[in-house]
Amino acid sequence: MPGSSTQLASGDPIITVENVSLDYFKEKEPLPVLVDVSLTAGKDELVAITGPSGCGKSTLLRIMGGLSKATAGTVKILNSEVTGPRNDITMVFQNFVLLPWRTSLENVLFGLSSRKDLTAEQKKEKAEKALEETGLMGFENVYPGELSGGMKQRVGVARALATDPEVMLMDEPFSSLDDLTAERLRKEIHELLINPSTSVKTVIMVSHNVEEIIELADKVVVLSQRPAHVVGEIRIDLPRPRNKKSEEFFTWVDKVYSFLS
Amino acid sequence: MILALGLSILFALTIGIFAARNRRAEGVILPLLDIFQSIPILGFFPFVIVGIYGAIPNAIGANLAVIVLIFTSMSWNIAFGVYEAVKAIPRDYADLLDMSSASGWQRTKSLYIPASLSRIAYNTQTSWAVGLFFLVASEIIAVGSTAVPVTYGIGIGATTFYSSGDFTNYTLLIVGLILAVVVWRFVFLREFALWSEKYKMMEEPREQHRDPIMRIYSWVNQRSISKLFLLTQGKGVNRFTSVISRFRRGIKYAVLIVLGFFFLLVLESVMKPGAVSLGHLPSVSTIGSVEGNVLYNLAASFVRIWYVYVIMVAIGLPLGIVISLNFRLYDTVSPILEVISSMPAPILLPAIVLIPILGHSGEGVAVIVIMLASIWYIIFNVMAGVRTLPAEIKELPRVFKVSRLSAWRNVYIPGALAGFVTGSITAIGGAWNALIIAEYFTVTNPKGTTTLLTQTGAGIGKVIVKATNSKPPDYLTLFLAVVSMTVLIVAFNLTVWRRVYHHVTKRYTYNR
Repeated sequence: MPGSSTQLASGDPIITVENVSLDYFKEKEPLPVLVDVSLTAGKDELVAITGPSGCGKSTLLRIMGGLSKATAGTVKILNSEVTGPRNDITMVFQNFVLLPWRTSLENVLFGLSSRKDLTAEQKKEKAEKALEETGLMGFENVYPGELSGGMKQRVGVARALATDPEVMLMDEPFSSLDDLTAERLRKEIHELLINPSTSVKTVIMVSHNVEEIIELADKVVVLSQRPAHVVGEIRIDLPRPRNKKSEEFFTWVDKVYSFLS
Repeated sequence: MILALGLSILFALTIGIFAARNRRAEGVILPLLDIFQSIPILGFFPFVIVGIYGAIPNAIGANLAVIVLIFTSMSWNIAFGVYEAVKAIPRDYADLLDMSSASGWQRTKSLYIPASLSRIAYNTQTSWAVGLFFLVASEIIAVGSTAVPVTYGIGIGATTFYSSGDFTNYTLLIVGLILAVVVWRFVFLREFALWSEKYKMMEEPREQHRDPIMRIYSWVNQRSISKLFLLTQGKGVNRFTSVISRFRRGIKYAVLIVLGFFFLLVLESVMKPGAVSLGHLPSVSTIGSVEGNVLYNLAASFVRIWYVYVIMVAIGLPLGIVISLNFRLYDTVSPILEVISSMPAPILLPAIVLIPILGHSGEGVAVIVIMLASIWYIIFNVMAGVRTLPAEIKELPRVFKVSRLSAWRNVYIPGALAGFVTGSITAIGGAWNALIIAEYFTVTNPKGTTTLLTQTGAGIGKVIVKATNSKPPDYLTLFLAVVSMTVLIVAFNLTVWRRVYHHVTKRYTYNR
């Protein structure tokens, strides 16, 4: 693993997006999607990216994960440039993307299958630990088809956590869950991820749910309509645990909304 | 051919609407359609020919018999399409018509027909390939079995040119056929399909259907055996109670089959007095020895089908996956595959015989012909299976930097499995039909002499063709062969394939 976390203080930049632009080409005509987007996510931070639907939030996240290439600009983790998928970045998907033909445990193990440095025993141990942390004890041998949406997303999170990532990317992780389930998972996720016992140094979450962002994020980056550029970067200095019913909370919600409209 | 197609559509509309609107009719029609779909129609052809030709002993009769066969091969899946489309019309529309107190014909005209148009269009596109196969095959068989042949047709043309050594014309004919297939499929049928698009009322994903492969996929999915499984599944037979109900259902089907054959037998004795009359029914010992012979040949064919299947899997599964994982490859290759797949195998058979090494072995020729007739089902279904996987799941190996081997083992192959099983079921069904052409093939030249092009050591297809061609036709053998073949196929589908299919659709389909 590059860098050593002991030297980093809270808030030190972990992932840096520098002047990233992306054009789609339609009959050789460039169609700008992202224009000169820059942002950073620091240690122990959860940074939310939001914007109107279809503006390119998810595309930006994919570029950060090395899954898509930007037309211009760079993404760096500590000081190494992201050129493709790597072991210290992982992703949690909106639609979970579990393999239906493998049990929870096997799905988590699948995420670990590229780790040559671990024995099968160690992998299993890690996977079981991740499942335990995400509250899936006793569901190791259950197939995704038999799990509820919330549980599936827990498997998704466990699969990501087990790989010891430094950067965790989450693409609308709660938006395909029903309200109550999402509520419960949200309550746990911050403590689960931003926690000295995990390898995760920073979390980036794409979301269009402003209340969810105020509840979870330390910072929110607001993108404009296509072609997307950054219209605002707001630090949310609200003490935790955050009370969703408080007046203060709504002031923050309003503030973010003012950037969106 | 077009006449047969028109008939098929008309028949499909009537049966499909009837089944969808009338619960009692539904209970009878659906299982019957299923059976008709899963049996090798080609085996019954000699009976049809004798029946119709016996009644109208001239060229019209022979042509009529061919039309009946093509009609039979094409109409079932269109009927299923209509049935499903009408069944799927939202309640609100029916309520609307109820409130305007529309008559039966008005309903049919203003709702049922438009609602099923797009399904008819798509099913027609794929029925076409099947119909072409049967067209060629039946023309060839017709020539072999009757004194007055169907005089015009591609099937006839190909074999006549070939047997009289006219290879230039034979090649021209094949090139012409390819052109015709291309024009017909990509111009006419596609236009029909696109036009019918606007009559679509369900929120089916559109681009999926524009994609030729997806079309074949959805068609195969509605077809034959897979349909049978879906039906029982839809009726809520779950894992725990299914053992008993499966057994009962099996009996029900068996009874239906026996009744069907009895009916055929009666029909035949009426049509052709003297051939099978109660007066001289064959003795039990004759039946016994013929049946023994038939069973031996059936076993040979069974083995042949399975080893060809293994070859087809070895080629089709990886090929399908590789093609559909690469967008550019997919776009270039799939139309080509589509054209090749709609070339009827029997017409190419004479050319295959000319291939050195292979051509001299009847077994080799049989393998190729069977493959040409049925490997497409596997390839297309695998392709569609992989295509329907969400993009994210195909990307999973990249996200977690999984090795290529592991990606295939854990993602691509399991992801393709559901389509693969559907494809396999259909492919084996196609293989049984192809056997009848592949195991024993003769050509007759204009002078009336018949040359044997290829034959295998043993096989049920050979038995069937030989019995048909012998003068007078050996009805007892033919009958026993077709019955035992059908029983074997249906039994195998009901026991083995159904179980595999249930398991695979339960575990290996991706629905989040």
